[in-house]
Amino acid sequence: MIDFSLSKEQESLREEIIAFSEETLTPGALDRDKAQFFDRSLWEACGQLKLPGMLVKKEYGGRGLDAVSTVVALEALGYGSADSGLNFSLAAHLLACVVPIQLFGSEEQKNYFLPALSDGRWIAANAMTEASSGSDAFNMEAAAVKGPEGYILNGHKNFCSNGPVADVVLAYFTTTPGKGFFGGISAFLLEKGKQDFFASEKVEKFGVRTCQMGEFRFTDTLIGGQGLLGKEGAGGMIFNTSMEWERICLGALHLGAMEKQLEKAISFARTRKSGGKSIASNQAVSHPLANLKIQIESARLLTLKAAWKLDAGKPAGMDAAMAKVQLSETFRSFATQLMQLYAGKAYREEHEAQQLLRDAVGDSLYSGTTEVLRNILATHMRLK
Amino acid sequence: MDNIKLEVKKFLLDSFVNESETGPIEDETPLLSSGIVDSISSLQLVAFLEEKFNFQFQPHEVDQDNLNTLNLIEEFVKAKKG
Repeated sequence: MIDFSLSKEQESLREEIIAFSEETLTPGALDRDKAQFFDRSLWEACGQLKLPGMLVKKEYGGRGLDAVSTVVALEALGYGSADSGLNFSLAAHLLACVVPIQLFGSEEQKNYFLPALSDGRWIAANAMTEASSGSDAFNMEAAAVKGPEGYILNGHKNFCSNGPVADVVLAYFTTTPGKGFFGGISAFLLEKGKQDFFASEKVEKFGVRTCQMGEFRFTDTLIGGQGLLGKEGAGGMIFNTSMEWERICLGALHLGAMEKQLEKAISFARTRKSGGKSIASNQAVSHPLANLKIQIESARLLTLKAAWKLDAGKPAGMDAAMAKVQLSETFRSFATQLMQLYAGKAYREEHEAQQLLRDAVGDSLYSGTTEVLRNILATHMRLK
Repeated sequence: MDNIKLEVKKFLLDSFVNESETGPIEDETPLLSSGIVDSISSLQLVAFLEEKFNFQFQPHEVDQDNLNTLNLIEEFVKAKKG
């Protein structure tokens, strides 16, 4: 039987997060976005609800949500919080860092890291991308060499969301270059202050601007064997798993943001007059909004189906790619049409539609560009 | 146990390997290191092996040492099945 309704627990989770985020995270969000300012006190407030650890098991200090409920929760966050960069920071922390620790960490690592990553004390950053390998993460140059006291890390990682504010870094290095991505790469958990590495200041960027993005440099950084996440050579699969979670769940933030903005757009179209009639009565306005409603719902269903596969332990790579492509392209289309609807007002002033457009551009670039994701789909479809 | 190699070879040929382009897939033909099975296809191969032979890979086991030839795959599956 297929049941598309939310459970009572999911309904109350949604209500709780919307109420919290509208009251706590949205005030001042446009100003923070303009200033590219990350407010750590808001992160800590999210931590009081354990949102940074929403899918961490309760025994490790989280809320114990499954993937489907995580999608519901992140959509609620995107709907209620206009601080899209903070939302993005939280989702990147959760999906690219917390998920791998929970799935692949030792009992000692889970007990040590997960409580503080769940309750708002610590922020985590993922360090995979390098200057010479963006979406093609398979040509990594950063290397870890095993020595008598542990591993010596050397390399330069960029495009690291949360980098400048991170307490914990999940970083990937080649350990056996000849083996390639699967078997040749290992994942390491580093702590600011415990290991010696350089974290840059924030890099200015186009979208999700309150999320602080930066770079890491590792120069003969020593880390003991206990810093290895999983076994040596497990990094490729760990990263791939985290990307499946990110591709599936992170877009739920944007579903929520689009749903909120669609409500506002409908209200605007119904009250804005042209030639004595509301512009909503003009099919040139109403049909694009109707089409966007269809696209949003399609993206939501693909996202929820993919999340259901995660919960069921089924292979979800193809579903993750489909959900992410559909959502990214819906988001960009939505944002450009919203600009068209608000026209001069949104073009001239600092406006939510501007913020949405900037955010939408980024969504087809991170966690695998839409081109890379279509390549994944083509392989699954036996076209390559 | 030759069935393991036959099943895997059938999966490869049905899914993403064209012998007219790669040459014949023999027991010792390198699959990953030659690029015949790329990174994305590796994941499909892993999913196939898990479902077909009912076991779970540990992340570090997705490795050329276990997957690079039909012989290695057979050896790995037998070891996992105990």
